[in-house]
Amino acid sequence: ASLPDRNMSEMESSLELTTSLPGSSLPPLRSRIFKIIVIGDSGVGKTCLTYRFCAGKFPEKTEATIGVDFREKVVEIDGEKIKIQLWDTAGQERFRKSMVQHYYRNVHAVVFVYDVTNASSFQSLPAWIEECKQHSLGVEVPRILVGNKCDLRDAVRVGTDLAQKFADSHSMPLFETSAKNPNDNDHVEAIFMTVAHKLKSQKPLVLSQPLGTESTVQLQQEHKSAWVCGC
Amino acid sequence: MKKGKKHQQNTGSQVTGNGTVKKQGEHESKKKQKLVEIHRALNSDPVDIETLRRAAVSEGGLVADEIRRKVWPKLLSVNVYNLPPRPGKDVRESHKDYNQVLLDVRRSMRRFPKGMRAEQREVLQEQLTDIILDVLKRNPQLHYYQGYHDIVVTFLLVVGERMAAAMVDTLSNHHLRDFMDPTMDSTKHILNYLMPILEEVDPELHDFMQRAEVGTIFALSWLITWYGHVLSDFRHVLRLYDFFLASHPLMAIYFAAVIVLYREKEVKSCDCDMASVHHLLSQIPQNLPYEELISTAQELFTRYPPVVLAKKAALQPRESITISSFKDFQMATLQQRPDTVLRQQLRDRASSDLAVPEEVAPAGTSQLVKMAVWGISATLGAAALAVAQTALDWAPEFLLQLF
Ligand SMILES: Nc1nc2c(ncn2[C@@H]2O[C@H](COP(=O)(O)OP(=O)(O)OP(=O)(O)O)[C@@H](O)[C@H]2O)c(=O)[nH]1
Ligand SMILES: [Mg+2]
Repeated sequence: ASLPDRNMSEMESSLELTTSLPGSSLPPLRSRIFKIIVIGDSGVGKTCLTYRFCAGKFPEKTEATIGVDFREKVVEIDGEKIKIQLWDTAGQERFRKSMVQHYYRNVHAVVFVYDVTNASSFQSLPAWIEECKQHSLGVEVPRILVGNKCDLRDAVRVGTDLAQKFADSHSMPLFETSAKNPNDNDHVEAIFMTVAHKLKSQKPLVLSQPLGTESTVQLQQEHKSAWVCGC
Repeated sequence: MKKGKKHQQNTGSQVTGNGTVKKQGEHESKKKQKLVEIHRALNSDPVDIETLRRAAVSEGGLVADEIRRKVWPKLLSVNVYNLPPRPGKDVRESHKDYNQVLLDVRRSMRRFPKGMRAEQREVLQEQLTDIILDVLKRNPQLHYYQGYHDIVVTFLLVVGERMAAAMVDTLSNHHLRDFMDPTMDSTKHILNYLMPILEEVDPELHDFMQRAEVGTIFALSWLITWYGHVLSDFRHVLRLYDFFLASHPLMAIYFAAVIVLYREKEVKSCDCDMASVHHLLSQIPQNLPYEELISTAQELFTRYPPVVLAKKAALQPRESITISSFKDFQMATLQQRPDTVLRQQLRDRASSDLAVPEEVAPAGTSQLVKMAVWGISATLGAAALAVAQTALDWAPEFLLQLF
């Protein structure tokens, strides 16, 4: 009884946009919001990555995420202030099966994370992708693949080639990075910003409606190779 | 009242003004009286479980860890003179949940007292892993969930490894049982009690939250860890464990409702959308008026018991092992013998069959752990230690045999 139905949330999402529609003489009351869900096996570093983006540093101690944690950051893109909401989800399978669903609703983008030092976290990706499908996220919702913990060079178990092949087969751009010691300090930020740019490049109203596929595909091509850090 | 509480936290080292001295005096005598009652209840035959429950729920809870070590086992019908053997390390790697447990225990640093030496903490973390896997191995019907470790660590820090294993075993088969199903559907069902409670007490708040579509996941970690995951002050966690161990298993969700109700103004003044409300509620304030909230939760439980809520809110009926086994669980707590008798029984057993239970642990690690437990008492402050002294007078040998 406590889980409300889908229609309500769609209404909410378009409401968000009407308050910030361009063309009105008043400045927008609320900045636009991009909702991005971050998923992947337990321990791959979802909490560290989202923390790194929102707080600008690697967290000294993380704890297991129970349910869903929420982080946000306001960024400016082409002069527009945009709120990026990150939903950091629990990795353990039992949570994803019945708890996380609620948060898939009207997300604008999905970030899949695996741990480059942990082959099984990579092998779980198809299940996570399937999970998204089941929550009727359309193919048009931008998705990216992030291989984390690149700083542990000697322990890498998932090679870039293999990951790139997988990413290609699902038409996702691949980013290899490290929440802890990225080659470039802003690398994690750049990854999330890429997603934000991609979302912004779509027409404002698009966000509350099924997205057009063309623009997405084009962007994916653009970034596919450019963003692989190869560290 | 407020003043008195404040001073309790400061452990009364610098008492200023006559009023406070008097208040503190009252407080002390109340506490003493409580200790006497607990002492009496523990020595009744059978143990006076009702009095123990009342003590655990009433203001201040069970006061000190030394008392918890005696009362908690009774609240769970655990015979501390007949504990299962110390959890072993054998084949723990082969358990399907081993990796997840390890990952969570490694990241559980914040659950240990700040000043604790790393070696001490590591010994305790090893024990934490052992206990969890031991209970899971003995109970194949139970499934590990992230957050279970937050519950187990609380028991480990208060009662030590062996007693924690026994208590957590019982708890997992009763209060936590629904959380340990193969899926979290039963957990979701329990979360579904939250909104109906709000609806009864504050329909406006309820409607606001419905409109925001916040759902109930913000309370998930509260429920399945009994707030151990979200409260940074260990004393608050202990206070709540006193309360929950002495209450109906659904009390933790009533407490969640009470927290939301307490923050009603904040909630209503935040943006009516999922993210804002979820964000606000999932950041639990660290200075909640626990005593007040505990009595409110109790009142709500009496006024709107689970059956009534379920009917009114037309909750889907669902088989809950936790709830259906609660009656039997409570019945069992009525039949307990006092420790003096249990100890004698142990001695009799020991002398009849020569198989003496391994009561005395090897010195090395256990010494460390004992220090660790005392370290925690120290962080609880001088007042707690004074009480601890009283508890020591009751049965020092009891304490010693735990390690
Ligand atoms: N070396 C290294 N360690 C990392 C990196 N990112 C995360 N970690 C470590 O990996 C462990 C898990 O990180 P978390 O961010 O808690 O993992 P999570 O994906 O949020 O896990 P769940 O909440 O259980 O789903 C922690 O001990 C982190 O310190 C990284 O880039 N490099
Ligand atoms: Mg996490």
